[in-house]
Amino acid sequence: MSYIQFQNIHKSFGSNEVLKDINLSVEQGQLITLLGPSGCGKSTLLRCLAGLEDVTAGQIFLNGENITGKSPKERKMGMVFQQYSLFPNLNVYENIAFGLKMKKLAKDKIDKRVKEMVLMVDLIGKEHEYPYQLSGGQQQRVALARSIATEPQVLLLDEPLSAIDAKLRKELQTRIRQINRQLGITTIFVTHDQDEAMILSDVIHLFHGGKIEQSGKPTELYTSPKTKFAASFIGSYNILSGSDFGKIIGEERNAQKNFAIRPETFTVSPNPLPFTEGCHHFHAIVESHISHGNVLRYTLCTNGVSFHVDVLFRSFQLFEIGQKLYLSVEKKNCLEI
Amino acid sequence: MKREKSSSILIVVICIYLILPLLLTFFYSMFQQWNDILPSGFTTQYYQQLFADSRFLSALVRTVLISVFPIFICTVIVLLAMYVVIVYLPGLDRIMQVLCMIPYAIQGIILAVGILSLYVDAPEPFSNRVFMLTATYCVMILPYMYQSIKNNLNAVNAPRLLETAQILGAGKLRAFFSIIVPNILSSIVISMILSASMIFGDFVIVNTIGGSYFETAQMYLYKMLAQSGQLSSALIVLLFVTTLLISVGAMALKSKNKSSER
Amino acid sequence: MVNKKPKLYLLALAPFSLLVLFFEIAPLLMVIVRSFMPEGRIGFTLEHYISIFSKKLYQQAVWNSVLVSVVSALAGIAIAFFAAKSVRSVGRRMKNFFISVLNMTSNFAGIPLAFAYIILLGNVGVLIMIGKKYGFSALAGFNLYSLVGLMFTYVYFQVPLATLLLIPAFNGVHPQWRESVELLGGNGLTFWYRVGIPNLLPSILGTLGVLFANSLAAYATAYALLQNNFSLLPIRLQEQFTGDVTQHKEFGSALAVVLMLLMVLAIGINNYILKKNRGLQY
Repeated sequence: MSYIQFQNIHKSFGSNEVLKDINLSVEQGQLITLLGPSGCGKSTLLRCLAGLEDVTAGQIFLNGENITGKSPKERKMGMVFQQYSLFPNLNVYENIAFGLKMKKLAKDKIDKRVKEMVLMVDLIGKEHEYPYQLSGGQQQRVALARSIATEPQVLLLDEPLSAIDAKLRKELQTRIRQINRQLGITTIFVTHDQDEAMILSDVIHLFHGGKIEQSGKPTELYTSPKTKFAASFIGSYNILSGSDFGKIIGEERNAQKNFAIRPETFTVSPNPLPFTEGCHHFHAIVESHISHGNVLRYTLCTNGVSFHVDVLFRSFQLFEIGQKLYLSVEKKNCLEI
Repeated sequence: MKREKSSSILIVVICIYLILPLLLTFFYSMFQQWNDILPSGFTTQYYQQLFADSRFLSALVRTVLISVFPIFICTVIVLLAMYVVIVYLPGLDRIMQVLCMIPYAIQGIILAVGILSLYVDAPEPFSNRVFMLTATYCVMILPYMYQSIKNNLNAVNAPRLLETAQILGAGKLRAFFSIIVPNILSSIVISMILSASMIFGDFVIVNTIGGSYFETAQMYLYKMLAQSGQLSSALIVLLFVTTLLISVGAMALKSKNKSSER
Repeated sequence: MVNKKPKLYLLALAPFSLLVLFFEIAPLLMVIVRSFMPEGRIGFTLEHYISIFSKKLYQQAVWNSVLVSVVSALAGIAIAFFAAKSVRSVGRRMKNFFISVLNMTSNFAGIPLAFAYIILLGNVGVLIMIGKKYGFSALAGFNLYSLVGLMFTYVYFQVPLATLLLIPAFNGVHPQWRESVELLGGNGLTFWYRVGIPNLLPSILGTLGVLFANSLAAYATAYALLQNNFSLLPIRLQEQFTGDVTQHKEFGSALAVVLMLLMVLAIGINNYILKKNRGLQY
């Protein structure tokens, strides 16, 4: 059995079924992400694991032990929320020490541990400040320190970086990854940001409508989405109906199927490309272009079908609107879903 | 600007309208005679008389006691009840809200008369006037204490704080009283103080229930009206200054609170 | 699996439940039940309610109470409207000063207020004397101890409360609306009539409800001014229970129920209008 095991989890709020037969396992020491749009149930699953919600049906196992029905206190997990949730009446030191106090540790042990934590999250000198005196990023670091001070077996993070600005987010992502690696704490991260999921995770579980749509390593999920939803959520796939795809490549395709192609897998040239085995060849007209910094995204049109292509901005060569371009794409990069 | 000038004038006029009665009362207490338009005979004798009157002093003491006691009781009662509602039975919140709003509809004379007629012949301790009075005041300030505590619990996002504390290993009781309560305490104190000034200024309830058993400052004042105008006005000024100090204290606490929150 | 642990925490609910049960619900129910009981014995009767609405004395009391409350509430809110409106166009210092004055004087009610008005407008009140000396006959002949005098006094404690309630409401009136109206060819009056007041209506009506309920229940001021010489509902009510000669608990209860219904009506209309207008808020 895996370190954490969810078996046949169902959760309903009244008549609203939020989790539908979830089966999921997590290995010890992994950092896994529950990814999905708002309302898909990922936060609920996390809260069920923490003991903050009861499951309607199913079991949860931690290290072989059935923890379904146990109180949060008994589960000994750490949790970080989106809104930090620091205790406003306690300063940084006291917030971090709180869990240790609950465990009734000796004063000097608490002191030692808190100092370790403060060092780990880089907040030396701020121990006596109160939450209202700290920035958002600092508060989240305190929340992080507080949650791992008690050496929990599992660390849960519920969209912890959504309220933090972009640059700081990168730092904190690195920090969380470090904590997972250095301390070996099994970590479960919930987010709706696919970039974040890709950066952090060993395994991603994509949620959709209360079910797990697809699970896998980040690159797996990125290169091989199995459903239309997965392709639309991860990366910036072109999702084309069978007939549209057929119009682009000039061959008939099954209209019932969809085809997903990553925009960066096209080879583009203003001049005709030499024929390569295993590729589709066609041409298109430039409709528009947008610069994403180091990547240029072109919207092209073939036979009335629009799609987009990403090109690394290597030289100053910018294709113009109305220009005719020649493209090729490997057949294996056109995923049938 | 034209608009600004006429607005200022209006505000000044209204201020005069509001302050004038207060000012007149104050002057009345400082002069021996006021038969014509202007008074004559400046003196502080009336204030001296008041403080020398033991009946007044005991009435004042009673007023202070009865203003303070019910507030603490009511606060504890509401906090305990809110603890259960927030932690265990959130469904009861609606009922509690209705129950705490009813006193607003039966305020003053209805409440006083209802309680008196019900318990005046009942066995002790219910028929004890002070007991009745304390309980009545608790009910009178219930809407204000409840609303204040509720708003503050919402402001600190109590359910989330409770969850966090529980995850860190605190029991439910401990979480509520060592995390939630300290955070809402300073705001509760403000409502407690304002409730105190409400009880301080009450006449109808204490006159009905307290009657001759428990004379407070307001009742003493009423009796004084028939005796001496100057003594009455001196008393009014004293009482007013007291409530003013209480309110100012509350405002000061409030701004101190605000400055310590971002 | 449901925990069958003894629910100890329910103990914490006990004090509240006891307080509410004995001193809120019980008196309330008692008053309602008694109002339907004939005097001195058990039974069911509507005679008290019939008395209230047929005997001149009590008709007068209900009518006076409603009249005083409605008029003072309307006058209070009119003054408060202009006061709150003006507050927006003055500097910060004057605004803070004004709000302090409002807070301070909102405490001045009950017997102290009655007394102050006696000094001001009583038989030998300062303003009366000024009126006599300088020949303002309207002022000189003013009778504080009448319905009109009472209304004047009630307005005094309505104004601070109403203004304090309305000032935040005016924050919701955006200056851009005024500018748009002017650009479209309207003037100040047009603005207030067509945009400003309609948008403020929920707050205005809500505050009216509060003012009305406030003055219906007011007892001390009226008692200090008029004792039992004037027919007002709260005063007639109190008489039934603490009269020197006889007590009429059952009849008093009926009066109390009538007063309660009026209060509930005021608050109810308030809530109804607020609910109805929630759709207008964007």
